[in-house]
Amino acid sequence: MLAVLPAAVIAGVARRLIKVSFLLTLPIAISVVLVSVFTRAGETVLFEIGPFDATAEGVDFAAQTLVRLFAISTSIGLFGMTTDPRAFVLDLERRGLSPRFAFVALATLEAVPAMVERAQVIASAQRARGLDTEGSVAARLRGVLPLAGPVVLSSLTEVEERSLALEVRAFGRPGRRRLLWRLPDSTPQLLLRALLLGLLILAIALRLTGAFPVLP
Amino acid sequence: MIEIEDLVHVYDGATRAVDGVSLRIRDGERVAIVGQNGSGKSTLVRHLNGLLRPTEGRVLLDGVDAATRRVAQLAATVGLAFQDPDRQIFAGTVKAEVEFGPRNAGLRDAALAEAVAAALQATGLEGDTATKPYDLGYSRRKLLALASVLAMRTPVVVLDEPTTGQDARGVRRVEAIVRELGDAGRTVVSISHDMRFVADGFERVIVMRQGTVILDGSPAAVFAREHWPDLASTYLEPPLAARTGAALGLGSTPTDRSLIDALAGQR
Amino acid sequence: MLELSLASYRYPGYAKTVLHDIELRLGDGEIVGLVGPNDAGKSTLCLVTAGLAPASIGGVLKGTLTLDGTPAGGLRTHELAERVVVGFQNPNTQRSGLAATVFEEIAVGPMNLGLEVPETLARTRGAVARLRLEPLVERDPQRLSGGQAQLVAIASLLAMRPRHVILDEPTAQLDPEGTRLVGEALKALADDGTSLLIAEHKTDLLDGLCQRVVVIDGGTLVRDGPTTAVFEDPELEAVGVEPPARIRLRRAAQAAGLDPRVLAGART
Repeated sequence: MLAVLPAAVIAGVARRLIKVSFLLTLPIAISVVLVSVFTRAGETVLFEIGPFDATAEGVDFAAQTLVRLFAISTSIGLFGMTTDPRAFVLDLERRGLSPRFAFVALATLEAVPAMVERAQVIASAQRARGLDTEGSVAARLRGVLPLAGPVVLSSLTEVEERSLALEVRAFGRPGRRRLLWRLPDSTPQLLLRALLLGLLILAIALRLTGAFPVLP
Repeated sequence: MIEIEDLVHVYDGATRAVDGVSLRIRDGERVAIVGQNGSGKSTLVRHLNGLLRPTEGRVLLDGVDAATRRVAQLAATVGLAFQDPDRQIFAGTVKAEVEFGPRNAGLRDAALAEAVAAALQATGLEGDTATKPYDLGYSRRKLLALASVLAMRTPVVVLDEPTTGQDARGVRRVEAIVRELGDAGRTVVSISHDMRFVADGFERVIVMRQGTVILDGSPAAVFAREHWPDLASTYLEPPLAARTGAALGLGSTPTDRSLIDALAGQR
Repeated sequence: MLELSLASYRYPGYAKTVLHDIELRLGDGEIVGLVGPNDAGKSTLCLVTAGLAPASIGGVLKGTLTLDGTPAGGLRTHELAERVVVGFQNPNTQRSGLAATVFEEIAVGPMNLGLEVPETLARTRGAVARLRLEPLVERDPQRLSGGQAQLVAIASLLAMRPRHVILDEPTAQLDPEGTRLVGEALKALADDGTSLLIAEHKTDLLDGLCQRVVVIDGGTLVRDGPTTAVFEDPELEAVGVEPPARIRLRRAAQAAGLDPRVLAGART
């Protein structure tokens, strides 16, 4: 957390990051809180709801877990929000990742907005034929096949043409490629990565030797 | 009657796709809308069945503001056939696909069967009622999509690029359909890039550029020499018949027929 | 030279043969038009001529495809790609999605071939120059007009340095401006030995571009000859192909008893 939040502020994504991480962890957070506050064995009872006791130990555990969840989600979120996926995947390829894997990763990312747009056109066409998307629940349920059907069917027919177009550009060739791109890297960044790696090892060592408090 | 009053449509708060269009289309007119991609043609026609709502201005269908109706309700008055048939085909048979629209419009039993049969006849698909749509080639799938809209028996039929990707036979069939719709008193509005299809089959041509209407008249008027610079500004070229007639000093001859008649009349 | 000899093809899982005993030859530098009604087999013929049927999509091909003396039969798809390429009508499905700029998009093919960076750059620059795409090289490939995107797709194919280019209805989804752009770009290909087979409905486009035209109907080539001769053939319309406007007008004049030379005199 100490590392993530200042980095987020520097990258300018702090508000968005906190908002997204919060929303993502909320469902888990609610269940964690409910379970641990009321069911963890403890002595200091704070209040009671029916047969369930809320203990201070439970609250303590819940708080620690929530902070950890938040730390995990914000660090992953920070990575996602500050890294260009294309640059990331291509750099992996330069370091040895198979070009096919790189392609699949990037194509998946691109597929989503394309599919959303396709779904919108399909919805328009079906609504123009009288499909009711604004009426009763029953009416909307009837619309599932006319809406989902063409999305799936046209995506599949497009896949064939796409893959032919890829074959023509030699995507099927086994072996490495000589990429035009190179992600710029600098000495300060190398040093920082080395430092972070060192801190990680230190943290693990401290935890293992019990020099740092461990959860009860 | 369709009345479009000072229509403005803005996308994403910035792009003025339609920038102040006022039009009146009478019942039974056959109107073609032309202009380069991005001139606002698609945006304009999608206001006729409520898929898009005006940012400013209004669209009246027989005096009723389209904004007060749901798209599903407007679909009974204005049918819109999309350019890509594969963005709407979902049924297992040709017959089921064509039945979808009229069923939504409330047709049942004899009326439904009749509407479907007529639509299949008009598009040449009467022998394929049990065929799977994707077993038809692209041309016939496009005709299938058109049939599914025709079967709704709407007083207004809007066609978005009905001849794109069609072979010569398919184009002939679409031309015949437009003629029949006109003969039956139904209003036809068609977006097209095919100037010959436009000149031959429509009595009124509306030329759009950057969201506004720059020309509006009969094919002979719109394709006359004095308007060629305007047409060029939206990357349109008049049909060869028009250019030939002008080069020969015969006045405005937008169709093959009118050119030949003018030449014959000269003798 | 590309040579297709007694080629018959059926798709995997289908019993029906869709191409029958096709004989087709593409000489170096020749531009040949391919016309015919929809569902006659134009697209299938394009795939067979490019070797992708059967190499990529399977199916059964009888007869032979020979590319500059080499039989295509044993070649893998990337080996085919260096000799013959095929472009399709939808510019969106031909975009790789990997490139941030048009230059990178065109470079994807050569990179996939495993070429060294200087060679990749040379081929990419060559393709850009050939189609005069310099103004577009920094643009986002996803934000181009239909015509521009199609040009980038064709340039991406040219960057493979193939001897033969097949295009399956390149202007079908384009507006008149896009059609004009692509038509002019294709003329630029004529001069350097690349042979071109273009399937199209727009006979006016092919009229100014091709030396030869072949007509396909029901999976068979029914005509193969010089452009004007084929387009002037009175049987053409019966097959379901409309001749170019100038020929149509000439015929209409003749039918009305007028001298068609009057039309020829008009400079349009």
